[in-house]
Amino acid sequence: MEKLRTHGGIRKPIFRIFGSIAVVLLALTGCSSGSGNTSPTATSGNAPGKAADTATFAEPPNTVPNWIWPFSPLADFSVSNSSYLQYLLFRPMYWFGDNGKAQISDSLSMAAEPVYSNGGKTVTIKLKDYKWSNGTSVTAQNVMFWYNMLKAEKTNYAAYTPGQFPDNIVSVSTPDAKTIVFTTDKAYSQQWFLYNQLSTITPMPDAWDMTSATAKGDCATNESGCAAVYKYLISQSKDLPTYATNPLWQVVDGPFKLTKFNADGHLTFVPNPTYSGPVKASLKEFIEVPFTTDDAEFQVLRGGSTIDVGYLPTQDLTAAKPANTGPAEAGPNPLSANYTLAPWFLYGVNYFPINFNNPTVGPIFKQLYFRQALQSVVDQPGILSSAAKNYGVETTGPVPLYPDSPLISQTERNNPYPFSIANAKKYLTDNGWTVNAGGTSVCAKPGSSAGECGAGIAAGAKMDFNLQYASGNQTITTAMQSLKSNAAQVGITLNITPAPFNTVTGTAIPCSGKTCTWQMGNWGGGWVYAPDYYPTGEVLWETGAGSNSGSYSNPAIDKLILDTTTQSGTAVMQAYEDALAKDLPVIWQPNYTYSLTEVANGLQGATVQNPYSAINPEEWHY
Amino acid sequence: MSDPGRAEVEVSGEVPSGPVPVAVSGLPAGRAKSMFRLGLEVFIQNRLAIVGIVVLALAALFCFVAPLFYRTDQVTVNLLETNLPPGPGHPLGTDETGYDQLGRLMVGGQVSLAIGFAAAIIATIVGTVWGAIAGFFGGLVDAVMMRIVDAILSIPILFLLLFIVTIVRPSVPVMIFVLGLTAWLVPARLVRGESLTLRVREFVQAVRVMGGSSWHSVLRHIMPNVVGTVIVNATFQVADAILLIAYLGYLGLGISPPATDWGGMLSNGTAFIFPNYWWLIYPPGILIIVVVVAVNLVGDGLRDSVEVRLQRR
Repeated sequence: MEKLRTHGGIRKPIFRIFGSIAVVLLALTGCSSGSGNTSPTATSGNAPGKAADTATFAEPPNTVPNWIWPFSPLADFSVSNSSYLQYLLFRPMYWFGDNGKAQISDSLSMAAEPVYSNGGKTVTIKLKDYKWSNGTSVTAQNVMFWYNMLKAEKTNYAAYTPGQFPDNIVSVSTPDAKTIVFTTDKAYSQQWFLYNQLSTITPMPDAWDMTSATAKGDCATNESGCAAVYKYLISQSKDLPTYATNPLWQVVDGPFKLTKFNADGHLTFVPNPTYSGPVKASLKEFIEVPFTTDDAEFQVLRGGSTIDVGYLPTQDLTAAKPANTGPAEAGPNPLSANYTLAPWFLYGVNYFPINFNNPTVGPIFKQLYFRQALQSVVDQPGILSSAAKNYGVETTGPVPLYPDSPLISQTERNNPYPFSIANAKKYLTDNGWTVNAGGTSVCAKPGSSAGECGAGIAAGAKMDFNLQYASGNQTITTAMQSLKSNAAQVGITLNITPAPFNTVTGTAIPCSGKTCTWQMGNWGGGWVYAPDYYPTGEVLWETGAGSNSGSYSNPAIDKLILDTTTQSGTAVMQAYEDALAKDLPVIWQPNYTYSLTEVANGLQGATVQNPYSAINPEEWHY
Repeated sequence: MSDPGRAEVEVSGEVPSGPVPVAVSGLPAGRAKSMFRLGLEVFIQNRLAIVGIVVLALAALFCFVAPLFYRTDQVTVNLLETNLPPGPGHPLGTDETGYDQLGRLMVGGQVSLAIGFAAAIIATIVGTVWGAIAGFFGGLVDAVMMRIVDAILSIPILFLLLFIVTIVRPSVPVMIFVLGLTAWLVPARLVRGESLTLRVREFVQAVRVMGGSSWHSVLRHIMPNVVGTVIVNATFQVADAILLIAYLGYLGLGISPPATDWGGMLSNGTAFIFPNYWWLIYPPGILIIVVVVAVNLVGDGLRDSVEVRLQRR
């Protein structure tokens, strides 16, 4: 009994009491931040509490750049990698997003718009006079480097679609150092070819044409030499700690150079003095800081002295703005003393993919009635008005419903699958399932005939699925809880689990075979149409496309997509979008305003935001 | 085989009436009382322990009985009634998914209390058996078993829990199992120490002399004699388990919705500090504090009541 005192004496109960109090205190003080950046920047310049020559940008919650080479595989093909890292250093040949409008920017593009000839089959591109930071010019050879790499490693590039760029190029030539001439296999829609094919090209410097740190490669001139160069560059891009020191990544043609990179998301850029674009950065430093949750970011933002461009978590708005306002219109701003609210809406669609190739549940996902049932339990209006405070619009098909455009069909406007528990139940019961509301529905009539569960679905098969979603965002969390609750009412059990953004995007990728085990993955933001700026969706829905995460395949859709690439006009677009809206290659979900951006009062140039997600801090100044 | 160690106090089953005369030495002057009776009296004298018992009873009533009278839908999300302040129909308002907060505190409390007590029972049983065997047999058996305990103890418990809940889907049974199987180490060490002293006591030696098996000694004599230690420790295990599930819930790795626990509710509430939705933060936080304090008060009372030295005061 004596020993009892040493183990269970006075101190341990007190420790426990303090422990319980600590849990509550942690909650009350909001100490869930994962950010280490809480120290304010130096005070000077026009805005109180901020340095006039430095801008600090808050990265989205739990989302950090982790891939520097612009030639990205799908797992690393994200806005945070392209917009918050790659575009700042390495500019694509054509720049999209013009003064807030969803169109090409001639002034920021590195080449003049292409000239079409030979019945539209010959495409001539003239490069402007841009320089790399090592003093060499951006030349046609640098474009050829990208083109050859794409030909050699197309399956490793996220924006590749079989049959399209570079498969649709018959020949290419470089008559001079600034001119590239592509000859295509047939005449394509000129807008589509510029917005969705040439848009993918990012010139790569000769300095990257290496097979090791010391051995030169020949990918720029010889496609067969690209495999070795790819192997080397991919290994360097995986080496995150060396991003700021690796000589490869110091050769840039963008407005900034990377001086500090921490894999936790702390990045520092300085201006590239040789940048050839129209606006050179006036900031001395551009800093990006990470946060594990939007709450953590908000705690720092409220201080008003650290972040120059951050975001307001939707849950920190006490009331929804009027429902008839657009997703990019600002409502009341609780931080107006220090910041200007500038809602940032991207030209894209929001959805989460389901894995058609999953060996266990794939046969269920391939049934249209199942997808119709699952789509019917997504309460988009409810989520938008409550969790999103009316910052967002519904997604009903592949063409964004905002901004209004002639491309939007009546089918999309009318939403073929509105929220309806009754409809969802009917889809299942009409197709051989015994619906157990609150439990798990089971297949009662196996078989492939009408009224039966469908091919590959055994009797007793259960509607029990795993859905991984991006953590750190309260709106997404609420939407997932709503979906789970609604689905349970028709016996669809969704086992929802949060995970970091990069984990979700790294998991929900095209796959096949026994190891293709992920079922549903929701990284929260769906797709912004970049670098496929025209919403024809070949990158997303065409069979075998690099960003077709769920491996959806429908030959009829493939044909309609092909039509959109070769024919201009709205009719062909609407035929495609109607079919896709009805066939549900993914599960559509509300397209939230990407960011309720808070721009520090006094900071100029940051309130007009790019609808394709890029940022241009070279235009920011106090 | 009777326990010689108990012979002094198990003289009679009769219940004495009135105050027990106590000699100057501190020893009972009259008939000896049963161990249970003595312990109960000491426990009742501890007012804080009684407060703890009352609080726990109220918490149990609140969590398990009140939902029978205060019925709310804690399964279906209601996005039309999110974040409502306290008012008619929702005495403690609603949360971000439209769940009635008072009803949610009840179902969350069910999970927290169930996990706390169940995990404590598992930890206590496993730890007691493990420690008793190690302590009684000694030698190589003891060395191997306790090195296993030491090895697992060297891993931070929260890290271990985080690792486990990322590879298995958190649910109430899983959390009970996981917490129980990570919390048995302390009782194992405690009981092992007790066993080391008990195995050389005369009544245990007598079992051997009379041909009793080792297992008989462990099950009939070692384990019953460490029950006081075990019970006291079990109360602390309950408090620890409630706190651990709160930690995990706070980190977003607790029970999956629509189930919840007080820690998870607190975690959700922190997202709404700025708009000052206090009803999402204070109620679960206060309940965690109150219940953990109550369990510890009961534990302190039990410790006093099984402490021989205190029984004779």
